[in-house]
Amino acid sequence: MTADTLPLNKSGKILEIMPSPLKINLMELGFLPGKKITLQHLAPSGGPMAFRMEDTLLALRKSEAALIRVEQI
Amino acid sequence: MAETTLLQKTVTSRIALVGNPNVGKSTIFNYLTGLNQKIGNYPGVTVDKKSGSVQINGETFEILDLPGTYSLFPNSEDEIIAHRVLNHTKLEERPDHVLMIIDSSQLSRGLFLATQLIDLGVNLAIILNMADLAEKNKLEIKTYELFKALGVPVLNTDARNQKGLDQVKNLISQRNFTKAPSFIDIQQVIPVDMLDEVQKRFQLENSYQAYQMIRFGTKDKAIAAEDRVWLEDLTRTADFDLEEAQLEETKIRYKKITEIVTVALTKKTEPKAKSNLDKIFLHPVLGYLVFFSILFLIFQTIFTWASYPMDLIDGLFADISARISTALPDGPLTRLLAEGVVPGIGGVVIFIPQIAMLFGFLAILEDTGYMSRVVFLMDRWMRPFGLHGKSIVPLVSGIACAIPGVMAARNISNWKEKMITILITPLMSCSARLPVYIILIGLVVPDEMVFGFINMQALALLGLYLLGVVGVFGTAFLLKFILKTAEKSFLLTELPPYRIPRWSDVGITMFEKSKTFVMEAGKVILAISIVLWVLASYGPPSRMDQIRLEGEARLENVTDEAQIAEIEAETSSHLLENSFIGIMGRAIEPAIKPLGYDWKIGIALITSFAAREVFVSTMATIYSIGGDLEDELTIREKLDQQINANTGEKTFNVASSFSLMVFYAFAMQCMSTVAVVKRETKGWKWPLIQTAYMTILAYVGALITYQLLS
Repeated sequence: MTADTLPLNKSGKILEIMPSPLKINLMELGFLPGKKITLQHLAPSGGPMAFRMEDTLLALRKSEAALIRVEQI
Repeated sequence: MAETTLLQKTVTSRIALVGNPNVGKSTIFNYLTGLNQKIGNYPGVTVDKKSGSVQINGETFEILDLPGTYSLFPNSEDEIIAHRVLNHTKLEERPDHVLMIIDSSQLSRGLFLATQLIDLGVNLAIILNMADLAEKNKLEIKTYELFKALGVPVLNTDARNQKGLDQVKNLISQRNFTKAPSFIDIQQVIPVDMLDEVQKRFQLENSYQAYQMIRFGTKDKAIAAEDRVWLEDLTRTADFDLEEAQLEETKIRYKKITEIVTVALTKKTEPKAKSNLDKIFLHPVLGYLVFFSILFLIFQTIFTWASYPMDLIDGLFADISARISTALPDGPLTRLLAEGVVPGIGGVVIFIPQIAMLFGFLAILEDTGYMSRVVFLMDRWMRPFGLHGKSIVPLVSGIACAIPGVMAARNISNWKEKMITILITPLMSCSARLPVYIILIGLVVPDEMVFGFINMQALALLGLYLLGVVGVFGTAFLLKFILKTAEKSFLLTELPPYRIPRWSDVGITMFEKSKTFVMEAGKVILAISIVLWVLASYGPPSRMDQIRLEGEARLENVTDEAQIAEIEAETSSHLLENSFIGIMGRAIEPAIKPLGYDWKIGIALITSFAAREVFVSTMATIYSIGGDLEDELTIREKLDQQINANTGEKTFNVASSFSLMVFYAFAMQCMSTVAVVKRETKGWKWPLIQTAYMTILAYVGALITYQLLS
C-alpha cells in the first residue's frame, strides 16, 4: 500500500519511495526506507495529509503521499 | 552613514549562514547583525541577498544569510543560490567561512546538508540550535561524538532564549572553522574520469565540487554558455543518469548519518503524539473557523490602528507642503516641491503603517508556526485556480494592501503559482478603494434597512468586496491555462512545533520590509508623482495665462474672504481643466462615455492612476470645492448636484456611480503596486501586462454595469 491510503491515526513503515521527480525532495526531508510514519491529520475534501515522522510533523499532498510505499504496522 | 562605509572598508572575513528552513537561522542572523542589515539582489533570480555586518573585538565580519535549504541539490532558486555563493568562481566572492545551523531536534536532516558542505570543502562550524526543543523532546546530543565523527567544531545554542549566543561570537572572532576530510566518497556514484575532467576544466578543488558542477552547471545561467554545452555533452556521451546518482548519494549519506546519530543521540521517550493545538487548528471544521476569526481580528486591528498614523502622516505632509509654499518664493520650483515632490513622498510614506503592521502580524503567524497550518488547510481550495496553499497569505494581505501581499508571494517556489498570485493579488479590494466606495455608495445607495436589519449601504460595500474576490479567482482560473511551466507543483512542508514568537525578530521584519518598500518602490512612485504634477500644472501657455489673468481681474474689486476663496477655487478648477491632464481627460471622453462618465471623471481617472484614493481629492478640485478637501460631506453634496452635459442627467446617478465603483474595483490605479510587481518580477513586462488586463477588466466590467443599470 502507499501512504495516501493509510487510515487516520495509523502508522506505517516506509518500504520505498517510488521513482518520480519528487523522490529526491522526499528523501532529503527524511522519508527513507525503514522510517515509521503516522498519519495524524487530514485536510478535508482530499486536501493535504500530515504525517508524524520521529519528531516532525510533515505535510504533503495526497499525490505525493502516493509515492511512499508503506507497510501498515 | 559615515560609520557604515568605514565598517565596510575593514571587513576582515565573510561568513555565510546556512541551514534548513525553521532552524532559527534568522534569529542568529538578527542577533549578530541587529539593524545593520542590507537586502540586495542576486543577478537573475528573485531570491533576496541578505547580508549584514558585525563587529567583534574591533574586527568587522560580513555575515551572509543564505536562504534555508534541505540540501545542495538544484531543486529551487534558493538552492541554486546556495550553490552559486559557496562555489563562486571568483575566489574573493566566496565566503571565507560557513556557519551551519542545525535544529537539535532534527539532527539527521541537518547533518544531511552539513555533510554536503563538508564534502564541498568549506571551512565549517556547526551550531546545534533550539536546545530547548530538544530538551522538551527528551533528546540528548553528545556534541563531542559529533565533533569526532565530522571533524568540525560543534556548538550548542538556544537562540530563542538568548543562550549560548556569545559563544557564537567567540567562535567567529577566533575563526574556529575547519575544513574537514570528505564525509562520503562521491566517486562511489560518479565515474572518476568524468569527475577529473570537470575538475580540471573548471579548476576545482575537489571531486565533490566537480560533481556539483556537473549537476548545477547546465542550469546555472551564471556559467558561460559554451561551458554549459560542454557539460551537457559530457553527461550525454557518458550515458550517465544524474538523478540516479543523486538518489544513490542520498542513500549513502543518510546511511552514514544514521550510524553517527545512533551514537551521538539518546532518545528518552517515544515521538510525540498529536499536539492539542493541532487538534483544533487542523480540525476539518474548527480549523477554518479559527483561521477566519484570526483574519477578522487582524484586519479589525489594522484598520483601527493604522488609521491613526496614516492620518498623522497625511497631515504632516500637507503641513510640510503648506510650509514650503509659504516659506519659499512662489515659482515653478517651489510648486514642484510643494505640490509634486512632497505629496509624492507622502504617498510612499503613508503606506508604511499598513505594510509594517501587516508584516508584523504575518511574522507572528509565521513564527508561531501557525502559518504553515493555514497552508495545509487552504491548499486544497487554492489548487483548482492554479494557486498554491501558500497563495493564501498574499491574497489575505491584499484586503489591507496589495503591496505587502505581492511582496509575500516570494515564498511560493513554483514559478507559475507565484506569478498567478502576484498577478491577481491587486484585484482584492484593498483599503485604498474604501474612500472611493464610501463616497459613491453614500451618493446613490439609501441608508436604509432591508429585512429590518441589513443596512443597504453595508450590503453594497460587501458586494464590492465579493466582486473583488470573484475577480481574483476568475482571473486566476484563466491564468492557469495561459501561464506555462515545466516545474511540478508540490507541497512538502514541515508543520513546525508551536512556539511563542520572537518579538525582536518580528520588529526587525517590520522594519526591513518597510525599508525595502520605501527604497525600491519609492523611487518609481516619486517619479510618477512628479510627472503627474507637471501634467496637471501645465497646459498650453496661451490658454493657461488667459485663465490666470481672468482670475486676477475678477479678484480685483472683491474684499469678502469667502468670495475670494470661491473665485480662487474656480480659477484653479479652470486651470486643471485646461492643463495637459484636462486635455487628456477630454481626449479620453469618447472612450469613457459608454461607461456613463464625462471628461471631468476622465481627469480623475487619469490622476488617480497614481493612487486610487486621489479620486476623491481630484473630484474636489475639479468641482472647485473651497476649504477643507477632507470634508467628505461637502464633496458629496457638490457631486450630487453635478449634471452630465452629455446626458442631461445627474453625473453621479445609480448607473454611473456603480459603473465607477466596478471600474475602481478592477483597475490597477496604484503605482506603488506597479513598482512592487516590477521589483518582484525583476522587470517591466509583468507589471505592464497586469496593468493592461486590469484596465480591460475594469472597462468591460464598468461598461456592462452601466448598460445594465441605465
